[in-house]
Amino acid sequence: MAALNDWQNRLEETALGPVRRTGRRFWAVVAILLAIIGWGLYAYSVQLRDGLVVTGMRDRISWGLYIATFVFFIGISHAGTLISAILRVSNARWRTPVTRMAEFVTVVALICGASFVVIDLGRPDRVLNVFIYGRWQSPIIWDVLAITTYLTASVTYLFVPMIPDLALFRDRLAGRSSRWRGSLYRTLAIGWHGRPAQWRSLTSAIGVLMILIIPIAVSVHTVVSWIFAMTMRVPWDSALFGAFFVAGAIFSGIAILIIVMAILRRTYHLEEYVTEKHFVYLGYLMAAFAAIMIYANISELLVHGYKLQEGVEFHFRQLFLAEFAPLFWFYLLGGLCAPIVIALVPATRNVRGIVAAAILVTLAMWIERYFIVVTGLRVPLMPYEPASYAPTWVEWSLLAAGLAAFALLITLFTKLFPIIAVWEVAEDHEASAVQAGTGIPARAIPATADSPRLAEEAGR
Amino acid sequence: MRPQIDAANSRLMNDETNEAAVSDRVSDDPVAPPQPTTNGSGFGRRRFLRVLGLGALSIVPLPVVSELIREGGVADSQSEPVHGRGAPARTRDGRVRRWTMIIDLRACDGCQSIGQPPRCTAACIEGHFAPEPMEWMQVFEADLAGGGTQFIPTPCQQCQNPPCVNVCPVGATFSTPEGTVLIDQERCIGCRICMAACPYDRRFFNWGKAPVPPEALLADYSPEHQVPAKKGTVMKCDFCPDMARTGTLPYCIQGCPQQAIYYGDLEEDVATNGREVVSASRLLSENGAYRLKEDLGTEPRVYYIPGHGEAAGRDAFDPGRSPTEWPWMERAEGAVTWRR
Amino acid sequence: MKSITRRSVTTVTRLLAPWAILVAFAGSAIASHVDVSVATVGEVTVGETVAIPVALHTMDGSPLAGTVVTFYLHMSFAGVEGEAEIGRAVTDEDGVASLAYRPRLAGHHELRMEYLAAGRSDIESTTTVIEVTGGAQLYHSPAGVDVPGVGVELLMVVLATVWSILFWVVLRIVAIARAGGEVREAALGARR
Repeated sequence: MAALNDWQNRLEETALGPVRRTGRRFWAVVAILLAIIGWGLYAYSVQLRDGLVVTGMRDRISWGLYIATFVFFIGISHAGTLISAILRVSNARWRTPVTRMAEFVTVVALICGASFVVIDLGRPDRVLNVFIYGRWQSPIIWDVLAITTYLTASVTYLFVPMIPDLALFRDRLAGRSSRWRGSLYRTLAIGWHGRPAQWRSLTSAIGVLMILIIPIAVSVHTVVSWIFAMTMRVPWDSALFGAFFVAGAIFSGIAILIIVMAILRRTYHLEEYVTEKHFVYLGYLMAAFAAIMIYANISELLVHGYKLQEGVEFHFRQLFLAEFAPLFWFYLLGGLCAPIVIALVPATRNVRGIVAAAILVTLAMWIERYFIVVTGLRVPLMPYEPASYAPTWVEWSLLAAGLAAFALLITLFTKLFPIIAVWEVAEDHEASAVQAGTGIPARAIPATADSPRLAEEAGR
Repeated sequence: MRPQIDAANSRLMNDETNEAAVSDRVSDDPVAPPQPTTNGSGFGRRRFLRVLGLGALSIVPLPVVSELIREGGVADSQSEPVHGRGAPARTRDGRVRRWTMIIDLRACDGCQSIGQPPRCTAACIEGHFAPEPMEWMQVFEADLAGGGTQFIPTPCQQCQNPPCVNVCPVGATFSTPEGTVLIDQERCIGCRICMAACPYDRRFFNWGKAPVPPEALLADYSPEHQVPAKKGTVMKCDFCPDMARTGTLPYCIQGCPQQAIYYGDLEEDVATNGREVVSASRLLSENGAYRLKEDLGTEPRVYYIPGHGEAAGRDAFDPGRSPTEWPWMERAEGAVTWRR
Repeated sequence: MKSITRRSVTTVTRLLAPWAILVAFAGSAIASHVDVSVATVGEVTVGETVAIPVALHTMDGSPLAGTVVTFYLHMSFAGVEGEAEIGRAVTDEDGVASLAYRPRLAGHHELRMEYLAAGRSDIESTTTVIEVTGGAQLYHSPAGVDVPGVGVELLMVVLATVWSILFWVVLRIVAIARAGGEVREAALGARR
């Protein structure tokens, strides 16, 4: 019992730590990120004033870095689905320390991704036309519907399992933090007291959401891929695009999650809960998805390359041999093959190795989105010389700002909300303790300050 | 009807151990099953279905109703004017015209014989103040089977299964009953998915403030006469529907010195190049007419009769044409140009 | 003298008359020794196919086979007027060339048929009129495929299902909040 309380207390202290103490390093990081975002806002103001001519896009290659980054962010948002939902459905206990971070990443990535579509518009002042005049037959409208649904479901899926932890914050931080923080937690904890009726509602809600969010997430990146696949551009006109993009999304989601996990683990001292085992398991998952991506690429490239219909030969030259060869081979070797090797070789199968693999994968997946967009548009449609595209400072600035906004929002989240799903980790710990036969009761309700009776009952 | 929850949480559903200790209603028996409360614990199947139904009703009504009213889809069913354009052009006996263009490549020599940039392109640019570097009617030079080249004047193909109309999220580009595909630059949000979708490279974007002469700014904009161009929107050849409706031939037909381009009506089965009147169906069928990229299923309204300018005296192995020019000396204030 | 002049003129006239008549007949035979007849076509509606038969015979009634007859229609479009060829037919062994003609515009139309008979050097022509009454729209765009039920309705159903489930989840959250509120009331009530 004492051991349990000790462990429980340590867990709660770790969860509360970031919220209680804010060091100078935090403010420095926030300042840098805000500066980058500020520069990005300036670049956007230049674009608003002069039009999209300040970018490198032109009539022949009319989409570029913005759309590639949009697809990349939406892809990353599948981190939450995989960890929170798929692993929850398959009852993989090791997921518990990372579910909260995964869901943070999902929500933030969706917000950043959606903003890049608006940045790419020629007339952002008319964005409401999408809602007033929207045509159901358009892939962009499907995209709007899917992302809105996924964002709503993800915010809900982030919030609902966080309620008991918010109640913990409310109780433990009562009177010891600022007024607005106290009322924030009180409001968001919506009167959680660990009542059985509340537990029932909570678990049924989580149960439904975790199943529902999987098809929603699959549909999201499928419709994003259909923005390309519903056109007749040679490299995009493929029935495989939906599955290909979903696999790529989960793949890049795992990689980003590993990176975020590594950073937060180091910063907030989560080593006891987010262990090397978590990195290795996620590394295995990443390697598995790398294998799926290799298979998808082979399917796509071999089927088209064998026949070399009109336009395919040009595409293959630009991709394998000429302009885009460095990017493509880096993606294939560094992004798809390397993670498999790193996960299989015992010497690299540790936190450092897996994080290195994750960085390679993230870089490679952004590059893949980039060359999918640009090579798709570059194949000539009529007898003219193929155009070329190079992003300008405006586009690079906005990419940097988008990444900085992503990092900033996650940083701010960690200062406001519990980064570890305390009750789930505790539950998992109890369950494994029970299995180990220490005799601790199978039910542990997190202690809440204003229900001493409940705590007493729990101890029984 | 309780949703499935993983085994780790199942003990939370086990009422016997929890409910007895902490039930909402006071109960002396520690292992008695709980009494149904009104606190959401007895949320049965019926209530679930009721909520499902209510949810569906409350969420879906307006879009579905407006969609059913709107009759989205085939231009044929549209009888009322769309988006601020005039009534459909009709034959003398009141049937709606179906515009077509037939380009006789036997007569097109890329204006090599007159030593100028292609006159069809020039006439279109001047007539519409088409911003540089847009060529709504663009003369491509394609290789021939045995070497040598042919010139292919390429306007918007005015497809009947238009990829651009299919993908537009706001309906800014739309098909008309006459079969032309127009763009409403007041509604376009500049997402450019239509440009990705067009397989003929016939859509152009106003990347910056359009490089047009100052006098272009005086015109009244309409989707049928896209002057002046609007920044951040898409534009393209529109088959000059405002002119065609009044019986005037489009600029490109008027501009061609070889009268190589015919403008016609498939409803009345008639076409003219400005000099002679022909039966459109005869001209097409008797001369081996074809359409560009037929296998894509876009069903274009622009037909080509194969040739390489021989009727204008051109030799197939004589390549090159003069580059297109945009003739205005002065651009509107703040206008910039760009490369395609 | 007068009687001689009168008798001379009469004689010359009598002598010349048969030649004149002979020349007149011969002349008309030289101008058109082909006898052409076009059956009058009744009233026709736009889009309805009608046969326009042209019969060519020599003067002695034998049919002229193997002659190409070209049909022209006077058209006016976009300010340009002219004759457009609308078809050609070859006379069969009965000397009849028949064009299957599908009028595309209502009104009074003039059709001109041209032919060059064998052994002749001039192209000859004849005309006929045709009355066409207005009809329904003929040309319909090749539209897509309409599968009933697969379309916007399906999308609506899927969306409604998903959002209803999300709505249900929101109700669960509300239930949590309400359960918390009742606890506080019960606790307050117990203290009193």
